[in-house]
Amino acid sequence: MYRRSFKDTRSSLGSPNPNFSKPMVALRFLRALSLVRRSGLGACSPSYRARGIRRAAYACMAASAGPRRAWSRALLRKIRRRPGRGLRRPRAVIWRHRPVGGGDRLEVALRRLVPGGGCMEYCRLLEEAADYVKCLAMQVRLMQTIVDSASHV
Amino acid sequence: MIKERFFGGNGSSAEAVLPSELKSGADADQLPRSSLKLGWVQPMQHDAHAYLESDLSSLVLSPSFNAPTGNDGVVVRELVGRLGSICKSGGISPTSRCQVAGISCHTTPLNSPPKLNLSATNHQPQGVPAQGNQMAASQFAPFADDPGLVEKPARFPCFGARNRVGIGAQLGLAEAGKLSRVSSSQSLMAANNGKGVAISDATMEMSRFGGRVSYSSSPGASSASDSLATTGAESNGRKRKAAPKCKGKISPLSPPNMNPPKEENSGTKKCKLREDREQNINGSRKLGEDAKPLEPPKDYIHVRARRGQATDSHSLAERVRREKISERMKLLQNLVPGCSKVTGKAVMLDEIINYVQSLQRQVEFLSMKLATLNSQLEFDMETLLPKDVHHAHVPFPHQLNELDMASSAFSFSQQPLKIAVPDSVDGFTDATCQFVDFEEDDLHQYVVWMGFGESQATGHSSHCIL
Repeated sequence: MYRRSFKDTRSSLGSPNPNFSKPMVALRFLRALSLVRRSGLGACSPSYRARGIRRAAYACMAASAGPRRAWSRALLRKIRRRPGRGLRRPRAVIWRHRPVGGGDRLEVALRRLVPGGGCMEYCRLLEEAADYVKCLAMQVRLMQTIVDSASHV
Repeated sequence: MIKERFFGGNGSSAEAVLPSELKSGADADQLPRSSLKLGWVQPMQHDAHAYLESDLSSLVLSPSFNAPTGNDGVVVRELVGRLGSICKSGGISPTSRCQVAGISCHTTPLNSPPKLNLSATNHQPQGVPAQGNQMAASQFAPFADDPGLVEKPARFPCFGARNRVGIGAQLGLAEAGKLSRVSSSQSLMAANNGKGVAISDATMEMSRFGGRVSYSSSPGASSASDSLATTGAESNGRKRKAAPKCKGKISPLSPPNMNPPKEENSGTKKCKLREDREQNINGSRKLGEDAKPLEPPKDYIHVRARRGQATDSHSLAERVRREKISERMKLLQNLVPGCSKVTGKAVMLDEIINYVQSLQRQVEFLSMKLATLNSQLEFDMETLLPKDVHHAHVPFPHQLNELDMASSAFSFSQQPLKIAVPDSVDGFTDATCQFVDFEEDDLHQYVVWMGFGESQATGHSSHCIL
């Protein structure tokens, strides 16, 4: 049942404004939550659900940020990677230009934190980090609001 | 990187037509269209003088020029027009320059739909380039009134290292329109294949001012820079009275969505020092640099050496890069709370890293909380979302209807999920759909793995982690 409805949905909201459409993120996230909930009755352990919700949060964040952001693409890729696949199809991975000079531990740490930060130049990294931080903050605020309103009632 | 040919509208007819329309500010799209079209075509073959001497208003912008690009092209035209006007009058008011610079700042060739939307939403609720045209036109009107306006003290922030956001905020106008304009002009250029197409002086001007434009000519317009160079030399009109602060230093801006090749190009750039034309400008402004002949423009970035600094290309590139980095750091500083007083890259970076880590931890924590809450409550999206959201999402009328049917926000009872919810899935976008697909798969996995115990989930989650 889910598959059918999912495949049907190809309507596009246009290119969402990156990070400036909090209602968009909210909508997506809530939908995702409802999905989780719907199928979540099977995943009875809260930790399962928590992970699913966290993934949903990141996916919504990345989806609303748009495909133009390197971090959103990398994040979606990471999320969609089926965890069961231990053996990836050996395909030619185009490992993008890998910046040298990983001596700066701060820079390395930042690269690890920001999704897709392994192969960006430093300038790009800072840019993406800024965008990522913005989006993350918005997502956190959104989730906080949801939790507050949920626990408030 | 766009070299725009800002067609100064060669014909006086065009000029005659434009000013009136320009001043009218209204419906700029329509009127100048035909006349400007002329302007587009003709100046191509004309030499620089023609367009330089053309009237300020003539620049404006042939909204229509490009049918194919549609509205975007229109805006680009306006942008180009603006550039032209800047070049021309030389004494353009700083505001206009600023605006143009703002345009250029945001001008990442072609690819700025996101920015376009961004600025559109920021500054124009409608977010329609057409509106931007009008706005642009209306803004132009005052400038048209003062063609020989001597620059006022630069109050526009676009000088020096300003982040795009700041500029955008200040300009507050249809940058979206400008962006699209630029993109369309590039397409135009490509179409013209560099024939007589010269980069508008204004662009370079702007880059000087805003320090943000890094532009490289498209391959198809390789001759553009050459012609531009020649025209630039001739165009004395362009006084760079602007930015007293900006010592002609151009910090090339590589837009965030610039492709990696361009990044590399900027790094490997051919730094092209300003030409004589710049030296013409202000004697005081003149920096002690050599005016090199224009190199064939192939993705190079215009950089100007600062006074008293090394002028070799490597150090220039370094400086450009450093400035870019510092720009980004400032951006980050604004984002991270409590970092305004922190100085120094290392400390700043540390703060940023801590902040990101804390945010991620918060996400994890909140998701756990939501998970427990989810089991108890039933969400009703209608109440969760603000009312305006419902109106905003026109594509999902059916969803709205269903939501309206919902009774109350939260019910503690374990009611079966409303049937309305699944139907709303139809409204998902691609991205959401992707997510949904994944989510569904993931959940299936969960269901399947439930029996396998915690370890599976752990392994699963480890993949999820960054």
